[in-house]
Amino acid sequence: MILVEQLSKRFADLRRDGGFMALDGVSFDVQPGEIFGLLGPNGAGKTTCLRILSTVFRPSSGTALVAGYDVVTQPTEVRARIGFMSNNTGIYDRMTAYEMVQYFGRLYGIPEDLLEARIDHLFDQLQMRDIRDTLGSKMSTGMKQKVSIARTIVHDPPVLIFDEPTSGLDVLVARKVVDEIRGLRDQGKCIIYSTHIMREVEKLCHRIAIIYKGRILALGSMAELQDRYGQPDMEALFFELIDRHEAEVMSAK
Amino acid sequence: MNWRNVFLIFRREVLDQVRDRRTLFMILVLPVLLYPAMGVGIVPLIQFSEQPRTLVILGADALPQPPLLDGDHLAAEWFRDPADQSKIVVVSDASPSGDHSEPASVAEEKRRKLIETANQFREPLERQIVIDAQFTEAIRAGDQQAIASLGEQRKKLAESLRQPFAVSGMHVLVVVPANFAEHIREMKDAAVNRHGAAIHMDYPRPIILRNSADEKSAVAAIRVQKVFSNWENAILRNILREVGLPDELPAPVNPTEMDLAAENELAANVWSKLFPALLMMMALTGAFYPAIDLGAGEKERGTMETLLICPATRTEIVIGKFFTVMLFSMSTALLNLSSAGLSGKYMLSLTGGSGGGLSRLGDLSLPPITSLVWVLVLLIPLSALFSALCLALATFAKSSKEGQYYLTPLLMLTLGLTMFCLSPTVEMQPFYSILPVMGPALLLKGLLLGNHQAIGLYVYVTPVLLSSLGYSFLALWWAIDQFGSEEVLFREAERFDLRLWVQHLLRDKEPTPSFAEASFAFIFIMMLQFLSIKVLQAPLQTATAADRPLVMMQVLIIQQLVIIATPPLLMGVMLTTSVMKTFRLQLPRLSDLAAVALLPLALHPLTLELSAAMHAFFPPLPPSVGEAMAAMSSDHLPLWLVLLTFALAPAVCEELAFRGFILSGFRHTGRDRLAIVMSGLAFGVMHLIPQQVFNAAMLGILLGWIAVQTRSLWPGVAFHFLYNGLEVCRNRFGKTVEFNGGWQLFFRNEAGLRYQPLLLVLCALVAVGLLCLLARRRSPFGEIQDQPTATLAGTASTLMPR
Repeated sequence: MILVEQLSKRFADLRRDGGFMALDGVSFDVQPGEIFGLLGPNGAGKTTCLRILSTVFRPSSGTALVAGYDVVTQPTEVRARIGFMSNNTGIYDRMTAYEMVQYFGRLYGIPEDLLEARIDHLFDQLQMRDIRDTLGSKMSTGMKQKVSIARTIVHDPPVLIFDEPTSGLDVLVARKVVDEIRGLRDQGKCIIYSTHIMREVEKLCHRIAIIYKGRILALGSMAELQDRYGQPDMEALFFELIDRHEAEVMSAK
Repeated sequence: MNWRNVFLIFRREVLDQVRDRRTLFMILVLPVLLYPAMGVGIVPLIQFSEQPRTLVILGADALPQPPLLDGDHLAAEWFRDPADQSKIVVVSDASPSGDHSEPASVAEEKRRKLIETANQFREPLERQIVIDAQFTEAIRAGDQQAIASLGEQRKKLAESLRQPFAVSGMHVLVVVPANFAEHIREMKDAAVNRHGAAIHMDYPRPIILRNSADEKSAVAAIRVQKVFSNWENAILRNILREVGLPDELPAPVNPTEMDLAAENELAANVWSKLFPALLMMMALTGAFYPAIDLGAGEKERGTMETLLICPATRTEIVIGKFFTVMLFSMSTALLNLSSAGLSGKYMLSLTGGSGGGLSRLGDLSLPPITSLVWVLVLLIPLSALFSALCLALATFAKSSKEGQYYLTPLLMLTLGLTMFCLSPTVEMQPFYSILPVMGPALLLKGLLLGNHQAIGLYVYVTPVLLSSLGYSFLALWWAIDQFGSEEVLFREAERFDLRLWVQHLLRDKEPTPSFAEASFAFIFIMMLQFLSIKVLQAPLQTATAADRPLVMMQVLIIQQLVIIATPPLLMGVMLTTSVMKTFRLQLPRLSDLAAVALLPLALHPLTLELSAAMHAFFPPLPPSVGEAMAAMSSDHLPLWLVLLTFALAPAVCEELAFRGFILSGFRHTGRDRLAIVMSGLAFGVMHLIPQQVFNAAMLGILLGWIAVQTRSLWPGVAFHFLYNGLEVCRNRFGKTVEFNGGWQLFFRNEAGLRYQPLLLVLCALVAVGLLCLLARRRSPFGEIQDQPTATLAGTASTLMPR
């Protein structure tokens, strides 16, 4: 469903000669019905990678296929088949929850009658009937997150990309969001989930990639990684990998 | 393009704006309230604004008949509009007559003080009369020394009076000389008894003292002067009557005037100025605030990415937003115009048709409906242009605050152009018709006049509309381009650090300059051009007529070397790693060079005749250009110097700057065609005079293409030298050549050497052939020299998938 090969992204940076490599030769693939976790600290390149997958950024080199379509040459096809949610995808202040979801549903080209039924279903499922006519500016963070989720899945996309969907949420809302995503996996969706929170990864993901400074340090299922590095604790594993990488970089200099 | 998406986005954005109370207030409510409020405020201001001014008359007892004064005022009969009588209050030293004799009243005390103050002016003013008389005498005698010293005395006297007069409390002072009435009577008697002999009488005249730098004093003085003139006329008529001559003698011509302007044309005069200005201003502000909200606002509120990941392409998003902005721009403009027009009309009806105090503003009734239709028609391309421009700027801006900063320059520029167009001396002509903002403004001004002049303007409607739409499309394309660039959409909050930036400039050099560096070079050249005008004019002004051509040559060469060549050369050495690549110094293939060198021979006749054919299209040339042309063809200067000035210096300097540094920098965007066009336009703009701008832009584009195609500067230098050299030779030798026999098929002599159509056809064929040859050399547009694989800093190159 998602195939990423040698993806790199370079940004201009006055302080660094030759710019800043936000993503440096990243490769992975994600299957339907799987949640693939991107685990890394802030600034590791998670968001950049996901922005390339959602066609917002253009890669400097490498390829990425989403649902069989190339993100560079067929961006419209890609966008029609993904649901993307991050803490940068806000909702409109001057629109109600219903209008917001309806607007995006229409942009996805869903016929009106189907769309109405779909929105009804989603509002039930996400328990957001009571905020149906509330303006975005009047909503709490949790409500906004629900609207965002409804917006993300209104067109029932086969591929879902969540970029730190629980950041800034309290535990109650965060748990709801995680539950929702698990439900989507059970529907056979292909999901990428990026976070810096280990526990979420442990709970949700089939396979994970640990990403640091634009590179994937390790990739595999939880059990594989624990076996490979002889480290049963996820957090300890994470730190060990980062330390090892730093040491490599230092010795290379 | 999916128009359904465009419509969806448009509808959402409109709804969003309508739900925003601030925008709604600024754009819709404010104009509706503003003009009536202004009307309400202005009516009393106009009616009561003029306070009575004080006129002090000294020596009032010496005033001759008929009576000038009527109590505390000038007599009503001397005013054209008797109502104006109350606007001047007279304080005079006339002996009080009967009932005014009550002493010690406050008013009387005040009057006495004022007279006392005024009396202090008497002596200096009488001195002034003496000086004036001497001055006139000195001028008649031609005594330079006396003129100078008397002039100095006059100035000193005026200076010494200025301050006391300003604080004196009087606005105009009239000093009537003693025995003035006597003198008039004497003159009358002399006239009666002259028996055909010429009489010459000299006697002291009254003085009117005013300060025209003070508006109150100036206005009052004008009234006083008019009154004096009418009164003087009456005195004259009295004398004539007594002498037995007809009253009408002083006005033997006295023509009757008849004004053909219909009432609505007078109205049009006011509106033809107000409406275009209001239209421009409001179309721009109406576009600006929604554009900021839709561009920078969207980024700020964090919904930009939400929109970017929806299936609508970026072009669709921009067009949807563009239509929203345009809707608000048009509504704002129309609402403002109707509100202003209706308020004006209402105020007019309040004051009873003639306008009363309002008539001072001009007639305010609305222009005819056909003119108003033109307002609507011209509003469309204007709004489109402003909307697209604002949207592009707003997309670029990181925050609403940053967006606001861009409004002022845009508004200033638009207003400046509009004001220029509204000045009565500026009229529509072909070149103006294709300029942005100016074309519509001039057309609107003319059409709103609504009279016979408008008929001549209809030929301009098509060019104005077409060019305006063209500019709108360009601006829209820019907006779409902005929206496609991830650097623009995801601009980070940058911290400006001068040290870091300079370090970066000098450290992270690349073989060729960046886009920003090239733009800077161009702007720097333009600034230097502007700043050097005075410096370069100075030697020309002091040179004798005979030396002028030579001095001009020197100035032109210096200008080329210092202003055009030096800045890019310095920047090239300092900011790039390869001077060779930046200025394309590598040698071309000989065959390329030969092909390019032949090109001017074919193109020179074509461009010359094209310019001649377009002669009427441009405003007339400034005189300095005529002088340069004359110098070019002058036989007095050696040919080598003229060639050096007009051919070699520009060929080397301008090519280094424009096809060297600037083109290399512009090519950094990775878009060769755009770079060529932009460097060509920059080259054109540098020439400043419209005719040359057009010609130079065309040639600049061609030269840019040649430079890219041959990968070398030298063919361009050769072309430039030969092209300019041909023009020099044509000017120098073409005047006297006679053509006989077969040559007449190719050439003619019409105020200089000109070319016949047959030759032009041949030239065109040769030119096309040579260009094809060059075009086939290689296809350069795939290859970008020495670009790093990943496009880097400052390149707006990354066009996003649509």
